[in-house]
Amino acid sequence: MSTETPEPYVSKIDRRTALAWIGVVGAATAAGAGVVVYGPKMGGDRITRGYGTDPKLTKPEKAPWSRIMIAEQLQTAAILADFILPASGTAPSASSLGIPDFVDEWVSAPYPDQVKDRPVVMNGLNALGAKLRKANAADRAAALAALPASTDPTVMAFWKKFRGLTIGAYYTTEAGFKDIGYIGNVPRTVDPGPSAEVKAHVQDALTKLGL
Amino acid sequence: MATDNYDVIIVGSGAGGGMSAYHLTKSGMKVLMLEAGRDYDPRVETPMFNINAEAPLRAVGTPDKPFGFYDATVDGGWQVPNEPYTVAEGSEPFIWWRPRMLGGRTNHWGRIALRFGPLDFKPHSRDGLGYDWPITYDDVAPWYDKTEKLIGVSGANAPQNLLNTPDSPPGCLMPNAPPRAFELFYERAFKAMNIPVIPMHVAVVTGQMEGRNTCLFATPCGRGCAIGANFQSTTVLLPPAMATGNLTITTNALVYEVDLTKDGKAKGVSYVDRKTGEHHSVTAKSVILAAGSGETARILLNSKSSKFPDGLCNTHGMVGRYLMDTVGLNVSGQFPHLEGLPPTNDDGQGTEHTYVPWWGYEKQKELGFPRGYHIEIGGGRQMPSMGLGGLVKEDLHLTGDALRQRLREKFGSTISFNGRGEMIPNDDCYCELDPVTKDKWGIPSLRFHWKWGESETNQAAHMVKTFTEVIEKLGGKPTGKVERDGRKAISKGGEMIHEIGTARMGHNDTDSVVNQYGQTWAVPNLFIMDGATMVSSPDKNPTLSIIALAWRSADNMATIAKQGAL
Repeated sequence: MSTETPEPYVSKIDRRTALAWIGVVGAATAAGAGVVVYGPKMGGDRITRGYGTDPKLTKPEKAPWSRIMIAEQLQTAAILADFILPASGTAPSASSLGIPDFVDEWVSAPYPDQVKDRPVVMNGLNALGAKLRKANAADRAAALAALPASTDPTVMAFWKKFRGLTIGAYYTTEAGFKDIGYIGNVPRTVDPGPSAEVKAHVQDALTKLGL
Repeated sequence: MATDNYDVIIVGSGAGGGMSAYHLTKSGMKVLMLEAGRDYDPRVETPMFNINAEAPLRAVGTPDKPFGFYDATVDGGWQVPNEPYTVAEGSEPFIWWRPRMLGGRTNHWGRIALRFGPLDFKPHSRDGLGYDWPITYDDVAPWYDKTEKLIGVSGANAPQNLLNTPDSPPGCLMPNAPPRAFELFYERAFKAMNIPVIPMHVAVVTGQMEGRNTCLFATPCGRGCAIGANFQSTTVLLPPAMATGNLTITTNALVYEVDLTKDGKAKGVSYVDRKTGEHHSVTAKSVILAAGSGETARILLNSKSSKFPDGLCNTHGMVGRYLMDTVGLNVSGQFPHLEGLPPTNDDGQGTEHTYVPWWGYEKQKELGFPRGYHIEIGGGRQMPSMGLGGLVKEDLHLTGDALRQRLREKFGSTISFNGRGEMIPNDDCYCELDPVTKDKWGIPSLRFHWKWGESETNQAAHMVKTFTEVIEKLGGKPTGKVERDGRKAISKGGEMIHEIGTARMGHNDTDSVVNQYGQTWAVPNLFIMDGATMVSSPDKNPTLSIIALAWRSADNMATIAKQGAL
C-alpha cells in the first residue's frame, strides 16, 4: 500500500473522476491484467433485478443490477483493499484484481444479505473517505491503521465486513488460488491421494496428539 | 397426442421416474413422461471448472440460487416462482426444495448411495417404534446390486460385516479414490473411540466402466456433470430410454390430477403447461406418479371425484401422512495440527471418500434415543469461496503479508462433521391441501405440518456431543458457538431434502396407500414409484433406495402388463 501517493483506482465507471479526485492525472497504471471492466455506467432508470432462477451457468453474464458506488467510494475502496492485501512478490494487489468493482457489485445487489451489508459498507467507506481525502501520507496511514484497532462497533463492523469481502473476492481468483496454494480444479485421470510428504505431516500430527 | 397409444404415463423424471422409464421402455412399453420443469442437458449446461470469480457475487447463494450460483438446480430451491406452499400455524419450520428441470433433484444431489440395511426394513419389530415395511432387505438386495452396477457406485471394500450396514457383493462397486489428508487425520480419532470409518458409497464412476466416462477428480458434483461421470437421471437413465424409441418426454407439464374412467381406473392425467398456462389431458393404459413425495401427494389430494371426495387413494386419510425427513446437524472444527500442510489436491471424487456408519445399534437403550445416524465429514483444501475470510476472523489485526501467511497456514485446516440420522414417523408430520393458497394456475397448494420427536432431538444432542469430542481429541476447536440443545441444533423439517413417506407401502388397503410394488390399492393401474412409498426414514440417504425400489416396481409392472392385467 502506497501511502505516499495513492495509485488512483481506475474506475471502469468513470476514470476521469477518479483521477481528478486524487489529483494525480497520468499515473493510471492500476488497471493491470485481471481487472474486471464492466463498461461505463449508463444513465436511465436504476436496474434492481437479480439474475433470476435460471441464469446461464457455463458463461455467466454480468450481474444485471445497476451499481451504486460513485468514483470517490471506489477510490476509498481501492485504498482500503490495498491496505488489506497490497501487492507482494508475484501476488498482485487487491485493487489490481478489481476488488473495488466487486464490492460495488456486492453492495449494489438486490438480495437480502447484500442489502443488509449495503449501509455497513457504504457508511464505512464514506467515513473513511472523508478522513483520507485531505490527509497527508502519514495521516492516511494512521487512519487505515486505526480501523482494526477501533473500539467503535460501527467501525469494527465495517472493518470486518470489508475485510471479509476483500479476502473472499481476492482468493476466489486464479491469482488468489496461486497465493494460497489451491492446486485443484484441474482434470485428472486418477486421484493418487496425498503425497508421502503430506502423509508424513499428518502422521507427525497424530503422533503428537497421541493418536 | 390423442393418436398416440401410450402404455404408461410417468409423472416426473428424477430418480424414480427416470428409473421406471428406463426399465419400462426397455421392456417394450410406450411411455409418455411428463416433467414439470424445463428441458435440461447437463452435457452443455454444466459449469465444469468455472471458478467463483466468474460468477455474480463470487457464486454465493442468493434467493435465486440458494445453493450458490453454480448449483445445478433450475427455477427452484426453497421457493419455486408461482408455486407457493405453506406451513401450518403452530408448526415447526418446514422447507421444501424443488427444482423445475428434467431429471429433477438427481442433477444436484449429494451422490451418497448407501443401502438401507435389514433392520431398516423392520424397525417396529426391533424396538416397537414406527412401522415395518411389507418387504425385507433380502427382497430389495438383488435390486440394489443391479442398481449399483447400472448407475455406477464407488466404495468397494473388503466385507466389514457391520450390523445393518450392508456390504455390496463383489462386482457391484468400484474402488474409491484414496482417503485425503483430513480423512486420514480424523479416522484415527474415531478409531480411538471404537467407532468405524469405512469407504463411503458414492454414485460416481471412479474406475473403468463400460459406456461411462471416469470421474475427472475435480469440479463439484453439485453443478452436475457434463461428462456423465456421476449419476444423474439425465445422463444415465433417460438417454438409453430415449434410444429405445419408446419414450416421449413433455417438459413444462405440471401435472395436477389423475383422471379416472367411470369404473374407477386411471385413464390418464391433466396438466398445465407452465409456459403457456394451457391445460391438457393425456391418456394411457396406466399411470405412474414419481413427482417427489410432496408433489405426488399433492396430485393425489387434488384428484377428487365422487368415489374419492378427499383425494385419490385417500379414503382412509393416509395420503400425505407419515411424512419424514432426515435429522441433520453440523459442527465444524479448526485444527492447528493440520496447519502448514504442504499443498495437496483435495478435490477428490466429488464427495466424501470415507464416512462413519452408525455404530451404536446395541447401545440404544443406554444412549436415550432409539435410532442412529451416520457422519458425513467434509474438509480439505477445497476451492476458495467467499467464506474464506472466516478462517481469519479471530486475527482481525492482520493485513498484508502477515494476513497472506495466516491464510496459507489455515487453508484446509477445518473439518465439518455432519450427522445424518433416522427419523421415526409421527402424527404431527404430514402435508395436506391448503384451504386457501393456490398456485398461479389455481391448483391448491400443499400445507405442511412438522414437529420433531424426542427421538430425533435427543439424537441431535448426541451428534453434538460426539462431534465436539472428536474435535477435542484432534486438538481442534469448534468454529463458532456450539448449540448443545438438540431441539435448537436440529435441522429444519425438509432441510435435508429427504422428504419421503406420504403414500407409504404396506400389507393391505387399511394400513397403506400402495402395495410393495408401488401399485395403489384403490386404483389397480395407478402406481407410485418415488420416495412417497417409503415406510421408514433410515439414516442412509434415500436416493439409491428410491431407484432400486422403482426398478423392482417397474419390473413387476411390466410383468403384470405382459399378462394383460393392467
